[in-house]
Amino acid sequence: MKFFVNTRYLIVPIMTLLTISGIFFGGAYSWVGVFLFGINIVLDTLTRNIHLRANFDDSGNSYGIKSFQYFVMYLMLPIFIMLQAALAWRLYEYTSTTPIENSTFLGINYQIGLSGFDLLGSTLSSALWAGLGIIYGHELSHNKKEGFLASRLLMALSGASHFTYAHVYNHHLDLGHEDDPATAPRGRNVYAHAWLSHMGQSKFSFDLERKKLQKNNKSFFSYENKWILGYVYSLPSIILFVWSGGFLGIITLLIVWGLSNFLLEALNFMGHYGLIRKDGPVSHRHSWDNDSVFTSWFFIEIGRQCDHHVRGETYFWELDDVDGPNYGIGYFSLFVLTLVPSLFRNFVSQHLKRWDKDYATKEEREIGARFNSYVTSEART
Amino acid sequence: MFTLFKKKKAGYIAKVLPDNMEILVKRGETLLYSALSQGIKWPHKCKVGSCGTCKYQLVKGKINPQLDFSYVLEPNDIKNGYGLACQSILESDIEVNINTINF
Repeated sequence: MKFFVNTRYLIVPIMTLLTISGIFFGGAYSWVGVFLFGINIVLDTLTRNIHLRANFDDSGNSYGIKSFQYFVMYLMLPIFIMLQAALAWRLYEYTSTTPIENSTFLGINYQIGLSGFDLLGSTLSSALWAGLGIIYGHELSHNKKEGFLASRLLMALSGASHFTYAHVYNHHLDLGHEDDPATAPRGRNVYAHAWLSHMGQSKFSFDLERKKLQKNNKSFFSYENKWILGYVYSLPSIILFVWSGGFLGIITLLIVWGLSNFLLEALNFMGHYGLIRKDGPVSHRHSWDNDSVFTSWFFIEIGRQCDHHVRGETYFWELDDVDGPNYGIGYFSLFVLTLVPSLFRNFVSQHLKRWDKDYATKEEREIGARFNSYVTSEART
Repeated sequence: MFTLFKKKKAGYIAKVLPDNMEILVKRGETLLYSALSQGIKWPHKCKVGSCGTCKYQLVKGKINPQLDFSYVLEPNDIKNGYGLACQSILESDIEVNINTINF
């Protein structure tokens, strides 16, 4: 059991390594990352009705091995650096018009040079897996100071190092309030949310640093300014892509950052869409759970949002079903629905009705009703 | 050099004033986690270091803060030894006061 519990969370590391290999081999393999993303949508949809609880032994101890799980999480930082480096290498080949030919490296055949189509495949593959890798940035933000720094560096690969501070000091504190940019109000679509949440969290981090430095009588332009430092952490990526691709490098990096941040914000969107908190502490009812088996294992239990937001200090392998609001389907399946706002609204309206009836307090229900009438009138116009 | 091979302690004792309650804090666990695990009603809210509800004053001993306290606590509070229990790992036996805090 111990072996199974600990290895079931290796889907992302393995698939990321496959994506890097695909970029290395070139040709049609450049699209491996995109292909795997599609496969995951199918697997998640097919297994949507299987829900498993966290595993504990007879004494109530978790089977999770902390040292192993942390080793894997820290290992994801060099793996995601490799992913970005592999793309930069292919970009360099493309812009330097390296002729397309076959070669061997340690006895393995691979393609030197690539077409524009294959560069697009490599870029989309990198972007999708950089976005999925953000789950490690999230998990590490909650545990120990070394983990916090690793989280910042991992997020910086997607130009979003501010996330780590905003997530802990804003999202966990202000969840379900209008002060939390990561909570999507009823009526907002995922595209608007991605932009508003990203910018809102960066703004929060900016203000957090400004206030902290003011309190300590220090200049905003200080090496202690973690908002500025976060963007400095992203400089190596910018330099690498400008060096390897010039203007095309900037476009490529913007695609990688745009898509990976879109996936991050889609997770925030799905985790709390339409839920309202009026005063009082964060409770299970202020998050949506997505705990179908594939989502749980792939996203290292990040879908157990109800438990995570009440026990933020808890390791992901110990998070459990707490009978909170639940979409009943996994993140990949739900993500597809969010891409078509009208489909998502139809899907989520029944769940919100149930939330209003079974979970909301009187005050929360009243606020929800005001939002509902606004959303309905917007839909009519 | 021999300190390199010195066996690390499995945990430390946190004495909570003014009631002299003792909490065994296992190595790597936070003060708040241990207190709650042992049934002590330590005030808390977010558990991730952002709300400041689990604030205490360190009277004696050494802790290892897991997050920068200066986002939540005032500079004077930090000078006076205040910390956040949810982000404090012990590096020695400690004494803390929670009576001086206006919850």
